[in-house]
Amino acid sequence: MAVEHVKFMELHSDETIWYFFKKGEANGFSLLFKKYYPQLHVYGLKLSNNQEITEDCLQNFFIQLFEDREKENSIKNLKAYLFVSFKRRLIKQLQKNQKNLPISEAQLFKTNFTFSAEEISIHQEIQFLCTSTLANLINNLSPRQKEVLYLKYYSGMNSSDIAEVMDMNYQSVLNVLQKALSKLRKASENQQIKNILKKS
Amino acid sequence: MDNKHKFDLQYFLTDASFKNWAKGLNKNDITYWNNWIQSHPEYLETVENAKSIVTGINFNQNYPSSDKVNNALSEILPKLDIDSSTNKKTKKSRSLNSVIFTSAAAVLLVLISYTSFAYFTNQSTTIHKTNFGEIIDLKLPDGTSVVLNGNSEISYENDNPRLLHLKGEAYFKVKPIPSTNAKFWVVTNDLKVEVLGTQFHVNTRKQKTNVVLDEGSIHLEFKNGEVTKMIPGEMVSFSNDSEKLVHKKVDIKTPYALWRGGTYAFNEIPLEDVMLNLESTYGLEVEYSSDSLKQIPISGGIPNQNLKICIAAIEKATGTRIINKGNILRVQENPIY
Repeated sequence: MAVEHVKFMELHSDETIWYFFKKGEANGFSLLFKKYYPQLHVYGLKLSNNQEITEDCLQNFFIQLFEDREKENSIKNLKAYLFVSFKRRLIKQLQKNQKNLPISEAQLFKTNFTFSAEEISIHQEIQFLCTSTLANLINNLSPRQKEVLYLKYYSGMNSSDIAEVMDMNYQSVLNVLQKALSKLRKASENQQIKNILKKS
Repeated sequence: MDNKHKFDLQYFLTDASFKNWAKGLNKNDITYWNNWIQSHPEYLETVENAKSIVTGINFNQNYPSSDKVNNALSEILPKLDIDSSTNKKTKKSRSLNSVIFTSAAAVLLVLISYTSFAYFTNQSTTIHKTNFGEIIDLKLPDGTSVVLNGNSEISYENDNPRLLHLKGEAYFKVKPIPSTNAKFWVVTNDLKVEVLGTQFHVNTRKQKTNVVLDEGSIHLEFKNGEVTKMIPGEMVSFSNDSEKLVHKKVDIKTPYALWRGGTYAFNEIPLEDVMLNLESTYGLEVEYSSDSLKQIPISGGIPNQNLKICIAAIEKATGTRIINKGNILRVQENPIY
């Protein structure tokens, strides 16, 4: 049922927020900060597993975004832009901290995007799994699959935004989603079969 | 099937009606896609994959509290270079300040109008609105069923849910309340329908209102105060602009109320009339490469919830080519026929 939220959406649309942000006043800054700080905060935690680094990095990121606001003229997609540039900054910082022990991006992210059972709830499509099994299954996916799942279902991004953030093409995003989810679905189906066999 | 390659993941994922089916949301969409899958078993795996992507994973989001966000904000604000200090810049900053003031005032204004809007919709009026090609089933607080066609809107005051305003097209099955004999009204730009307990169909498109009565009896009241009674199987059309009133017997098996099943059913109806239905449901314009095409008769059912499928069905029924460019459908002779 599409009840009209149109006016609300327009006010808080990214175009409006970016327009006020670029004007360089406190109101515009706060508008953008309040909308994206929470999302980037969780994203940063999932990437780094480190609250202190995430929060320091996030503060510097917003300050620089504000200082450079005039340079960024044509941002087509604010959300994807913020996620990409924050991620880049965070990775740089994490690599700096590991200076003595050079580390690749892939190694760095092997353990990130870990979910606990409390962070997930079950719906009909995967109803035969319990949350801890599901969390386990997700945690064992490839880092790329986990990040795509995170961006899609935690951050609510659409597939073309994800393509931009992950630097992949649209079709690859769909393929990654399909592979990751069919793994979960098959696990649910196997569990269902097991349940039936147990009963008989 | 010549468009086999089109039924890929992306095809399903960009279809609003498919998403409804995957989430189990809309009765019409569920019926439609269940039938579709039955007749296209070869796409079952793609459909299942698409369904998994739509339903996805339910994360319990755990964002930082607004206190935490506000603290972080008050820490960062003093670090920003918002105020200028030099004399030369003061002048510039003054003009900047006035700009800031106006934009702040604009934000405030929009906020206020939003709050009153939210108050209006949440507290006193309920609005149901459909997009192009979307059909929804509604149950009103008094038990009346409404099927609202695409690109239509109904609204009512919450303390009087039996007085509805309608723009677009809807089908009503009004629940009688015998104890109080409470009446039910549908108000359009052109007229007011007064009902005791009945099934009828109202269409306000094309600058006039059409009412088709299936069962029971209703009164129509026009703006000039005139009242007329309708009997089942009758269609009345009236426009305020032309003030022309037409009474007509309709065969209930033919087009009028049949879109509500998710299919337009046509019985020897010229293509031009069929396309008028599409124009209003999907907000399109139709062009013909020659006038003779307009008269090709169509019989049978045309699914109406997905424009692509709908166009393919009409092409097949008429032997034409229909090209969809932006919001214009161009009907041409098909060179193969």
